[in-house]
Amino acid sequence: MKIIQRGKLAAGAVLSLPLIWTILFMFVPYAILFVYSFWEKKYPTFEAAFQFGNYFTIFTDPQYFQVLLRTGKIAAFVSFFSALLAYPFAYFLIFKVKTNGTRQLLYMAVIAPLWISYLLRAYTWKTILGTNGILNSFLIWAGITNEPTDIFLYNQFAMILTLTYVFIPFMVMPIYTSLEKIPKNLIEASADLGLNGFMTFIKVTLPLSIPGLVAGFTLTFCLSFGDFIASFLVGGPDGLMIANVISSQFGAALNWPLGSALAIIMLVIVLTIISISDRFERLGEAKL
Amino acid sequence: MRILQTLKSSACAMAIICASASLAFAANEINILTWEGYADQSFVKPFEDASGCKVNATYVGSNDDFAPKLIAGGGVYDLISPSIDSTTTLIEAAFLQPVDTSKLAEYNNLYEQFRTNAAFNHEGEVYGIPFAWGAIAFMYLTDKFETPPTSLADLWDEKYAGKISLWDDKSALYVAARLIGAKDIYNLTDEEMAATKAKLIEQKPLIRKYWATAGELVDLYASGEVWISNTWAGYQSGLLKEKGINVTEFLPKEKAEGWIDSFLIVKDSPNLECTYKFLNMLIAEEGQCGVANVNGYSVANPVAAKKCMTPEQFKALHQDDLAYLDELVLWKNLGADIERYTNTWNAVKAQ
Repeated sequence: MKIIQRGKLAAGAVLSLPLIWTILFMFVPYAILFVYSFWEKKYPTFEAAFQFGNYFTIFTDPQYFQVLLRTGKIAAFVSFFSALLAYPFAYFLIFKVKTNGTRQLLYMAVIAPLWISYLLRAYTWKTILGTNGILNSFLIWAGITNEPTDIFLYNQFAMILTLTYVFIPFMVMPIYTSLEKIPKNLIEASADLGLNGFMTFIKVTLPLSIPGLVAGFTLTFCLSFGDFIASFLVGGPDGLMIANVISSQFGAALNWPLGSALAIIMLVIVLTIISISDRFERLGEAKL
Repeated sequence: MRILQTLKSSACAMAIICASASLAFAANEINILTWEGYADQSFVKPFEDASGCKVNATYVGSNDDFAPKLIAGGGVYDLISPSIDSTTTLIEAAFLQPVDTSKLAEYNNLYEQFRTNAAFNHEGEVYGIPFAWGAIAFMYLTDKFETPPTSLADLWDEKYAGKISLWDDKSALYVAARLIGAKDIYNLTDEEMAATKAKLIEQKPLIRKYWATAGELVDLYASGEVWISNTWAGYQSGLLKEKGINVTEFLPKEKAEGWIDSFLIVKDSPNLECTYKFLNMLIAEEGQCGVANVNGYSVANPVAAKKCMTPEQFKALHQDDLAYLDELVLWKNLGADIERYTNTWNAVKAQ
């Protein structure tokens, strides 16, 4: 009896720190945000209330839907291009690279930029894409264009490019892990049964790596969805993202209630995506 | 045993000394939330040496940054320096405390027109100590324009598509509102607001980037992205000239906005003694010529300016001619209406 109690106590002690952490830094802030979202803007600041005016504003004023749609579109493009680039790369690392050392080196080459400040990495793209930037200088040098063009920077293309570059490690890592887990003898068996390389990929490798792809999609989508730096650094006049709108409500307008309501809606969207992707991943596991 | 005791007591003594030293240090420190240049080392360092007060400055990029920092809890900042359009909201939100002007030697030398402005006074008490002023002028790359631009319409000209920038601020609404001929840009009717919004949306395809910070606008000109924009008169053009880039400022025929920045004391500021010393320095020769030289702004104390400026600088900064300020459309507090302005500006960017 005593032993069981002591075990419980020990388990409690081990769990209490993460539990306190979660409550203090996750649940409490979200609860505060949730409560604020029912408050009311009242000049000069805002005051406690219980009303749905903020949510009503968000659903009736088309600007919020427009920005949410744009943010979703940009995030979807970022996920798509990340997957397009990351999948062949991870595949190449797992199935084509022969030595472990080379594989580790190439893997680290993708992960290493994560140690460099995000701001710095995003800023670098400005010097590459600008009107007098590296890319334009190269195009003129190579004789492809005569005049520098301004189509690379300060638009949604630049934002998608920058975000893809910044978040692609989060696509590479889960795909790499899921490909690594596939037993090699499954692929040999498929070859023995007469399927060529391409069909083996379609019938065996790809379905088994779906959980990694889904995890990568979820990570890159959610990270891009909440981003506001890319808009600020490389976005143009049509680069406003939902996080920029939220920050303006907390700043300029001093409308924390509306800002909180927007944040709650954003949170709901992200949580929905996470739970859908969780279903998907389990579907993939069941197949294996 | 004796040794241990000695050690213990000396450790105690050390701790007490250290503790009191750090306390004394804290009392001689002030934290200010302000614009870049307003706490420049060129005049803050001599002040620190002379007064024994240490000055910690945090910089803001826009007038929107003051309230959130104060609402999140006081006790950090002693002084803030928002522009004339933001003071009333902060005073009415009870973030600030009145200033005892009898402690400011130079106070009565400030322009009377500034001292009596409603934005710096509330219920018979003085809150804001005017410091510097200027225009939200317009600026262009000199060698890109054969005929110098004279109108806001030039910022809507297809010829300069992709080379135009505007400040990412409600000030963009003021620009468009003047172009459509609104009567009072700080009190737009709903029809005028709709027309202003449409005008800004019409301009969007021509915009290269809305600039958010002073440094960003300088970069945009320096890297050849932007040829024409609005600007904080004197400041960015000065920085660009240092880089050898030739820009010209102009006031369009539809007029430009004007601003006055003042310093205000945050409620419950624990370091009042140093705060007043610092305020005294700011509106005396050191601070006034300091900011004029660093930021290129006009200043609020013409008596001090006369003493430390060359006659040319004094004239160039319009210190002898306040009629210049009357030609500008001086910023006004929007009160509760700021919500309508912010949302319209957001809606333009959401399109």
